[in-house]
Formats: sequence, C-alpha cells, structure tokens
Amino acid sequence: MEATVKINEITQNDLDWKICYDSERCTRCGKCIATCTFNALEMQVEKRAYTAVEPELDNPTAHKRKFKAVPVVKQISDLNHKCVGCGMCEKVCPNEAIKPERNIDSREALINHPGGSPIKRGGRTNLSTERTLDKIKVGRISQMTDPSLDAQRHTFDLKTPFGRILGPEELPTKFIDDEMKIEGPTPPVRWIYPIIIGDMSIGALSTRAWEAICIATAYLNEKHGIQIRMCSGEGGMPIKLLKSKYLKYMILQIASGHFGWNRIIKAMPEMVEDPAGILIKIGQGAKPGDGGLLMAAKVAKHIQEIRGVPKSDLLSPPNHQGLYSIEESVQKMFLSMNAAFQFRVPVAIKVAASSSSVSVYNNLLRDPYHIVGGFFMDGIQGGTGAAHQVSLDHTGHPVISKVRDAYLAATAQGKQGRIPLFAGGGMGMTYDLAADAFKAICLGANGIFAGKIFIQLLGCIGNDNGRCNQCNTGLCPTGICTQDYRLVQRLDIDKGAEAIVNYMLNVDTELKKMMAPIGNSSLPVGRSDALVSVDKDIASKLQIPFVC
Amino acid sequence: MKTIKTVTGQKRLSTQQLLQEIYSAVDKGETSISIDACGQHDIGGPIWNKDGKVLTFNIKNPGQRVGSMCLPNTRIIVDGSAPADVGWLNAGGEIIVKGDGGDTSAHCAAAGKIFIGGRVGTRSGSLMKHDPKFEAPEFWVLKNTGSFSFEFMGGGVGVVCGHDSEAFESVLGDRACVGMVGGVVYVRGALKGVSEEVTVSELSVSDIAFLKDGIPDFLEKIGKKDLEKQLTKWADWKKIVPLSYENAHKKSGSSIKNFRKDAWVEDGIFSDVFPDTGKLVELITTGRDRLRYPKWENKKFAAPCEFNCPAGIPTQERFNLLRKDKTQEALELIYQYSPFPKTVCGEVCPNLCMTDCTRKDVDQAIDIQGLGTACDMQVTKPVTTKKQKIAIVGAGVGGLTTAWHLRLKGYPVTVFDKDSNIGGKLANAVSRERLQDGSLQKDLEKFFELGIDFKLNTPITAKEYIKLKSDFDYVVLATGAYAPKVPPFPGKERLMYSLDFLAKVNKGEKPKIGNKVIVIGAGNTGMDVVFGAYKCGAKEVTCIDVQKPAAFAKEIEHAKSLGAEIRYPVFTKEILADGLLTSDGETIKADTVILAIGEVPILNHITDPYETTRGYINVKDNYHLGDNVYAIGDITKLGLLVDAIGHGRELANILDAKATNQPYAPVIKKLVSRNNLVTAYFDKAQPKDICGGCADKSRCISCGTCRDCEICKDSCPELAITRELDKDGNAEYIVNEDKCIGCGICVSICPCGIWNLYSNSPYHPVEEIEE
Repeated sequence: MEATVKINEITQNDLDWKICYDSERCTRCGKCIATCTFNALEMQVEKRAYTAVEPELDNPTAHKRKFKAVPVVKQISDLNHKCVGCGMCEKVCPNEAIKPERNIDSREALINHPGGSPIKRGGRTNLSTERTLDKIKVGRISQMTDPSLDAQRHTFDLKTPFGRILGPEELPTKFIDDEMKIEGPTPPVRWIYPIIIGDMSIGALSTRAWEAICIATAYLNEKHGIQIRMCSGEGGMPIKLLKSKYLKYMILQIASGHFGWNRIIKAMPEMVEDPAGILIKIGQGAKPGDGGLLMAAKVAKHIQEIRGVPKSDLLSPPNHQGLYSIEESVQKMFLSMNAAFQFRVPVAIKVAASSSSVSVYNNLLRDPYHIVGGFFMDGIQGGTGAAHQVSLDHTGHPVISKVRDAYLAATAQGKQGRIPLFAGGGMGMTYDLAADAFKAICLGANGIFAGKIFIQLLGCIGNDNGRCNQCNTGLCPTGICTQDYRLVQRLDIDKGAEAIVNYMLNVDTELKKMMAPIGNSSLPVGRSDALVSVDKDIASKLQIPFVC
Repeated sequence: MKTIKTVTGQKRLSTQQLLQEIYSAVDKGETSISIDACGQHDIGGPIWNKDGKVLTFNIKNPGQRVGSMCLPNTRIIVDGSAPADVGWLNAGGEIIVKGDGGDTSAHCAAAGKIFIGGRVGTRSGSLMKHDPKFEAPEFWVLKNTGSFSFEFMGGGVGVVCGHDSEAFESVLGDRACVGMVGGVVYVRGALKGVSEEVTVSELSVSDIAFLKDGIPDFLEKIGKKDLEKQLTKWADWKKIVPLSYENAHKKSGSSIKNFRKDAWVEDGIFSDVFPDTGKLVELITTGRDRLRYPKWENKKFAAPCEFNCPAGIPTQERFNLLRKDKTQEALELIYQYSPFPKTVCGEVCPNLCMTDCTRKDVDQAIDIQGLGTACDMQVTKPVTTKKQKIAIVGAGVGGLTTAWHLRLKGYPVTVFDKDSNIGGKLANAVSRERLQDGSLQKDLEKFFELGIDFKLNTPITAKEYIKLKSDFDYVVLATGAYAPKVPPFPGKERLMYSLDFLAKVNKGEKPKIGNKVIVIGAGNTGMDVVFGAYKCGAKEVTCIDVQKPAAFAKEIEHAKSLGAEIRYPVFTKEILADGLLTSDGETIKADTVILAIGEVPILNHITDPYETTRGYINVKDNYHLGDNVYAIGDITKLGLLVDAIGHGRELANILDAKATNQPYAPVIKKLVSRNNLVTAYFDKAQPKDICGGCADKSRCISCGTCRDCEICKDSCPELAITRELDKDGNAEYIVNEDKCIGCGICVSICPCGIWNLYSNSPYHPVEEIEE
C-alpha cells in the first residue's frame, strides 16, 4: 500500500496559503519551482490508473487496467517550506497554471512553533488593518464663502519645518536704532517636504533597494524641487554617500544599537554638506518596547563591515543604554547629537506612540535649550523588517489620536508648531499617501513619515493581508529585503526609483488637490475644521464634526 | 442725447430702476446716454439698438461690472475710475476707463477692447479668451496690475504699459500668468514671480507693429497723448506667451537612468563594500544565480535492501545487471559480499533486506531470498600475492567469510576449527528442516577450492593461542558462542543442551530422547530442537519460553504442524526426573528436557587481558582485541549468521588495508530518502505474475542506483542533461550549469532517487569580481 497520511502530519490545508494548480495547463517548464525562494514547490509523479473497457463490459478480455505516471507540481506541506503567497510562481508561469490562494481554514498560527519558538516576520500588523484616517473625510469645501484654489494651476507652498521653531518670547530679539533685530543664535531649521521616507536600514533593505530610494530622493529634490528627505534607519550610512553632496537630503538615524556611527563620525572631516537632520530613534510603532532586529540571514559581509559586528542575529537593545529619564535623554542624546554637527543640524526624536506620548512631548516642549527639533510618533500600523508577530499584531498605539492630543496640548500652552510633529505608522497603507498626509496635517501634524509604501513601490508584494512578509528571512523574492546577491540582482534600481518618483509626483499633485478645495496654498497644519468623520467616536475624540 | 441723474435729493435709483430706464430709452431709439451714476452695477450691456446703430454711454461713478457682457456697437466711457469687473465677459464693446480699474478687470473678456487709464486690481485679465470667428479681445492698462493677473488666460491680447509703476517689484504683481494657455501679454517694466508655464521674450517686428499702431490710439482714448514717446521705447517691452501644449506637457521620461549615470555618486554609494556589477537577473536564472542545483549521485545512497543487510549486499545492483542481461555477473556479484548465498540468503536468513523493500509500497517485497538460491559461481584458486599470514580460529560463517575475502585478495590463510567439518553452527546447529543439505554442500565446497589451509579437529588452547600470535601476522578469533547458558535451577544436571543435540542430529545420529520432550526456549534454535526431537522419535514436544517466542513465524508454524505445543510465559522452577516444575506449581511431564536459550563464548584460551559484557568479549574499533588479534561474530555479540558474514567481510577489508598500509575509510552509505523514490511508474503486479528470484528484475525499483532509464534527460525542460558513457561504458548524466534553472524536475521524476537538489549558497559580489 502506498504511504498514507497520519492525523498529525501537516497538509496543505493547515497552511495559510494553498497552491492552486491546473495540471492540464502546465507545461512542466519548472519555472515556478525554480523561482520560489521559499522552496515551497516540487514536482511529484502522480499515478493515474483506470480500467479501460473496450468495447463491451461483459467481455472480460476487453477490460484492461491502464495507468500512467504524470508529473505534477505540488506544494511542499512543511512549515519550513511553507508557501507565503508571494505569487512569483504565478508571475513566471507561461500558462496561468499556478497561483497561491489564501486559506481561510489555516491552522498555521497555531502549529508554526518549532521548538516552541514564536512566529517572527516582517511587514505591518495583519490584525489592526482598520484605520482611523479612512473614517475621516475632507468635509469642509470652500465654495461660496472663501475661495478654493486651483490645484493644477495655482502655486502651492508645501514645506514644513524640521527643527525647533522659537516662539516670539523665545526669540533673541534686540532693538537697534529703533529697529527689532535677531541677535544671537537660533536653532537650525530646515524647510522640507511634509513626507519623510523613513527609516529603513541598510541591512533591512538590500543595497539596491536602499540606493534606489536614495536616488529617488535626490532626483525629486534636484529635478522636481520636491524637498523630500530620507531617514537612514539604524544601519549606518555608506561612506560614499556621507562624502557626497546628496548627504543634505539624508536624515541620519541613531538608535539604541548605535550601528554605523563609527563610519559617520570618521567621515565628518570629509563631508561637503551637512545632513538634513538627525533622528534619535527611541521606539518603533510596529514593535514598541523592542529594539531593532536584523536576523543573521541578512548580516552579509558588507553589513558586518558597515555595522562593525560579526554574523549573528543583531538585536538592538530595547532602550538606549544609559538613558534613564526624559531630562537625561535631552541632556545626553539631544545635546550630543546637536553638538555632533556643531548645532547646525536639527535633531529630532522618534518614539512609538503610547499612552505616555503627550507627557513626553510636553516635557520636550519645556526644554530650555531649544535643542529638540522634531517629535516623531510611530503608530501600531507601522512596518518592520523583523518582529515577533505578537508585537506586530497586538502591541502599540494608533497614532492619529495621539498626534491630535499632542497638538492640542501644545496649542493649550500656545506652543503649537514649536517642536514639529511628525506622524507615522500605516501611512500609505491603503496607497493613499497624499490623503493620509493631508488629514494628519489638518489634525496637527507638521508632516508624516512612511516606509513600507516605498518598498512596495520598489516592487515588494507584501501586504497587510498576510501576503509574504518574510522580510526577516533573507529570502525576499523581489530582492528588496535580502542581502543574497542572487536575489538582489532581481531588483532594477532605475525602475524602482522611477516608480517612487512617479508616485511622489502624483502625491504632490494630490496634496494640492486636497489643499485647493479648503483654500490653503500652504500646509493646513491644525486646520481640523476641514475634516469631518463618519464615525461618531472618532469625531468626538478628535474634536471634529460627526457627519453621516 | 439722454441724461440720467441717479440721485435726486435723498432718493437714489436702484440698479434695477436705472437699467429699466436705460432699456426704455434705447427702445425709444436713444443712442447716446449720459449717466451720473451712484455705484449702480452692470451699466452698459448687453443692450443694443434695433437698427444696429452705435450706443454710447458716458458714465460717472459706476458700480461693479461696468460694460459687462457688452455687445459690439456699444461704447462706454467712464470718466474717472471704476470698481471690480470692468468689461467682465465683454463680448465686443469698447470700454474706456480713464482712471483705475478694480479687481478682475477684463475678466473673461472674449471680444472688444478695454482701455484702462490707470492701475487694475488682482486677477485682471484672467480667463480672457478668443473665439477665432471674431476679433481677439484687447485689454490695455496704462500702469500695472495686481497679483494673479492674466491667470488661466486662454486668448486675446493684454497690454500693461508700466507707467508710474517703478515702485513695484513686478508690474504684473506676483504669480502672473499662472495657468495661461493662450493669448499674449505685452508688458513694460519689472517682472517677478511670473508663472513657469510661459515664455518671456523680446518683441518681434509684428509685435512692435501692433503696439506702434495701438499705443497712440489707446493714449488718445484715455487722454494721455503726452506719454507716447515714453511708452514706445521697444527695448523696454517684453512679450509673454504660454508654452505650447506639447512643451507644457512634455513627459520627463525615464531620466532616472541618466541621473544615476551622470549626476549620482560614481559607481553607486555601496561600491566600496558591495561592488554590484549591476547585472539584472530574471526570476529564472542559471549557473551560480540559481537558488538550487541538482546533482546526479549514482550509488551515493543505499537501497533499503542494501542498507538493512548486515553484509551490505546491494541487491538492486544485481537486478540492474539482470535487466541488462548480464546474468552471470548478477549471480556472481554477491560473492563480493557473502560466500553463503544459497544457505544464508536463500534459506536461513530472516532476510532483513526484504523488510523495507520499496516495492512493498506497490505490491510486495522483491524476492531476494529466491535470488540467493539462484546465485552461483565458478571458483578458481587465487594466486597468493601477499606475504602476511593470517590465522583464523573458527570455521563458522564469520571465520569462513574472513578467510574467503582475504584469500581472494591473495593472502595465505589458515583456518583452525575444533570440529571435523567446516560451517560451524550453520552446519552443526541449524536444523535440516530449515536448511537443505544440498545448499550447504554447494556453499561450503567452494572454500576447499580457494587454497585455504584448514586445520580441523584442532581446538586452540592457551598455549597455541600464544604461538599463533607469533607465527602469524594476524589472528582472527571467530570461535562463536558454544557454552550453553544454564540457569541455576535445581535439577539442571538433568538437562540436555541444544547444541550437542542438534550437532548429533545434523550428523545423522539419533540422540536418545524419550517420548515426551520439553524444549526450554522458543527461539529459532528451540524450533530446530523441536524439529530434531520429532525426527528422533519424540511423540509429544512442548516448547516453553518466559516471553513471546522469538522464532520466525514460519518456524513456529512448522513446529506446530509437527504437533508441538508452544507455551508462554512459563517460568521453570525445577527440573524433575519426570518433567519440569513451573513457578506456578504445575508439573509438565517429560522424559527429556532440552535447554535452548542460547550460548556464550568460550574464552579460556585467550591469554591476553580482555573485558566482557554479559559473557561476550569486548572489542575495540575495527574488531581489534589487542596486539595482532581480532575478534568477530558471536564471540563479540550474539547475532544473526549474516551479522557474522558482515563482520567477516569488513574485517577482511580492515586487515587488507592494514597489511597494505592503506587507511581504512569505508564509505558508509545513508539510506536513500523514500521521498526521492517514485513508485508511481510501477503498477501493482497480479500475484500470478510475480515469479520471484531473477524474474523480479522487472519489479525492482533500483533504489539509489541508476537504472539508466533516461527519464531525467527527457523531462528536463531546459534540455540541460546529457547522458555520457564513462571509461567502463557505464552511463552517467551530466548537467549543463549554464542551461539548468534548478527546477529539480530531474530530482522529482527519477524513479531511483539518484538526483538530489541542493541549495546553491548565496555569494557576495566581491567573489564575483575576483573570479
């Protein structure tokens, strides 16, 4: 008897994705199997037997048992080789004979714990995919009252400050000959595009992916005057970029692992431009309370060099070693990072949105040295290259109400806008980055930051419905989240960068398209009167009108 | 001429009342109307004389939209300034404002001419249009405009003379001409913040002609003739036209590539640590970029028969030879492993080789036992080529196998045995019910043709043991286990021992036993004793054991068929004169009780120190006991006959390696993976079609050994596999790495599991460049 299946053996129907295959249409070209980075497919030979009856039933000599052996493509029903739904098989199949299908009866989350280990993956939360932003509409359209603008033909000013803005009482003013003049130093401020590409590290991304985003950033600045900035992530910086004029478009990140800062500091004497800013990463929305995590599979030779570590899982500590209070963090991190570039470069901080975010923001607002140049809050819907699934799906705080709370708290003290607020986490989740930015800005953000959507533009096929999200494995089928040169070579830098450029040009027009009807030709920071919500609770929490 | 005063005392005509009065006058044929207005709106149009005569309005102090929707043949002269929307939607009238115009002057004007003798407000000239069926609208301004002038202009002519406007940064205000798609604006004076969608250029000859013609007329109309000289210095003028549709909508195209080449960091920002060649690979790749690669690994993995056989006999290779009609080779191959095919493989071996036969997944195991019986070869006496002398003590299957292989390798071999015949337990202890005399003769007679020096009837004592060690280069102890294990129960002296009993039976003697016999121990030896007992005339035989009988089912069946009763668990308490007392107090009557619970080796002749485990001697690696002495077979551990054969063959190889100063490094094959074998090609055979023995060549799957079916070559989608013959004429399959995409179809399709798929390891581009 042929081998049979036992009840505890894992079969296709236990897994999140099932391969749907039509052997009639298959040419046995092997492409689907060859391209699958997850090794989830194999050819098997099926026996097909039948009894041929020719021509009449009652003549036994006319019966003949016939059989044939047919090679077919099968899914390997094994947790180590599980299909993740990336769909590369479907992409390469010349005959549309194969594709992955989501399996609603999956038991994978229950059984995928070899040796008792929790599930780790990349991507965003796959549970909290409902977004506050999508319940908000731009409901106040200027028509008879104040004039709306023409998005296509009017000119708009889409710049937002990055750096500490001084209030009137904080300005070092002096009357000289009856004229008021600024006397003395003021904090550095950069006026930048309200969307920041943040912060995916070298290591998390492949060299080509990271460079493609860099090129798109530079191109948008140089060729289209869109002053978009890119944050390096916590993986250091390439020396050649540090020494180039394009450094001015980069925000350098320092996080608890402090990876790559040796090279950054060493390159300082040879820098021809200052960076756009420095972002101190304290926390991340996708996995608050966790530090960065780069799985050993991705710690290739050049990553070891840039980060200065051997091949192993690289876990950044959950906190900055040696910081024990907000006051101390201002003193140590902000002061030192400001001093790093001799107080010429603004320094901001990124925290995971949490119940305590407003207190932190209030605290920073009181900083007497004016060295806090921005407050980035990252919400639960943020993405990551590697995290425990439980963190991705269950820990974190939605960012929208938090950014609103922070803004209103500052407004109550007359200090709105002094430390620019940036909101991130799930921005562009529904591919509507302009609308997301616009709504967040109306609620009080000075800008937003987004990461995942930019790698999706490069070609990442992962989504929030459980597709792929294998950024942690080094097996990225698109060559974006891997350091395996065989896979990296799949990514076309130029096409990737072009997709980002085209999308951002579209975002630029779309932003104007939303600013025009409310009659703003500059960013409508805090113009919550422009918004309404179709959800009563959201309306009430955000202090905007409820409509239905 | 009619004059209308709109304010009388405290009373002011409303816009509507004034306009009604004008309509009525025009109806009556009035063509010239003078209005002393007080901010009334919309004076001037659309209104017309039914005979097509020119209507003239002289207006003071108008409200908004004077001259709006004005028709041709309407002439409006405003004495002084006018508020917003002068000439809004002008459809042909001539409108002269001697002072300033308000915001959105000439807004949407599409025909006619508007002359303003001062400044105009924001968005003036915006959305002007030109219907080519009519003359283009003109909009003349003596001084300057507010911001957003000529916004979205679609046609017509705007002229802004810039007189008395030196204080302004731009005579067109900020953001002029945004969204302008048609028309032309002539402007004199400073410009700033003009839209990027227009071009600003010097005047052409025809432009100058137009202005030269128009300026005197304009100045005359607004009563500023004296400015003509000042305004006709053409170098002061500029002309603004929108970009052509094509230029305005020029696609930036794929210039990223050029940007990366020309402006980006040279060689890329990672070139110092990750020297990317820039190669773009498709989702399907070959060579080094493949994710996986296949390897043809013939005979790397063991078939289940080969793997399970303690002597490692590769039966699949024998069937392969049979399939190739190399029958003699097939039947002789076994002698490279075991010299006992007929007796052991064919008759007494439990045939572990068949227990996991892959063919069981289809119908039933291949008949390897039958194949054993079929084996035979002609032995020719080997030439002695080696000088090392080897002594083997014990002519059982272990000793004989060692002797066989060493002799074939050319060593002089001397075999000692205490008995008068060779074959040890195989000859003396195995019942003839299980082993035919013919087979035994056939297998044993070959040894006498090899030139082995047999010293029979020669038990080895301690003294001789010492002598052997010095006389021979190597001494092999293969004396087996011959001391019966006797439990210490009372009456044990009444017991008969199975080995003595069976040896006599096999020699054709009839040892004296009674009618009722008890056999203690229900293993295969126990069954052999049962068979012997019946042969010697026993009438009732009871075989007891403390546990489930260990004998093969076949032997138990046979014993039962002879009438034997097999009982377990039965624990012996005492051997009585007339039977056996069990621990339960039962007396089983018997005349003779024969003990058949196994033996331990006799070791008293070994003078060297040694250790034992449960009576069996402990050997080190490679069966080494000490000095030049080795031990194999049951002396080391009770085993099957085929275990002793395996020991013998292995020891022969070990000693050969030692004697020739070669390292002994046997290849230990792993079992072929069941997943790699494909039984789908084989249909269930009808029992009547299964003939066994050599005929099973059609049923053997050939696990782990290539059957040269070429299905891999024919199934490769990239035609990357070729079949070539090696120097011995054997087929081998070669993969062209430049064609192979690593799909692994060859691996999956191969019935025999020859192909294996390996992960191609990632590499760093530095290595790529170094190559």
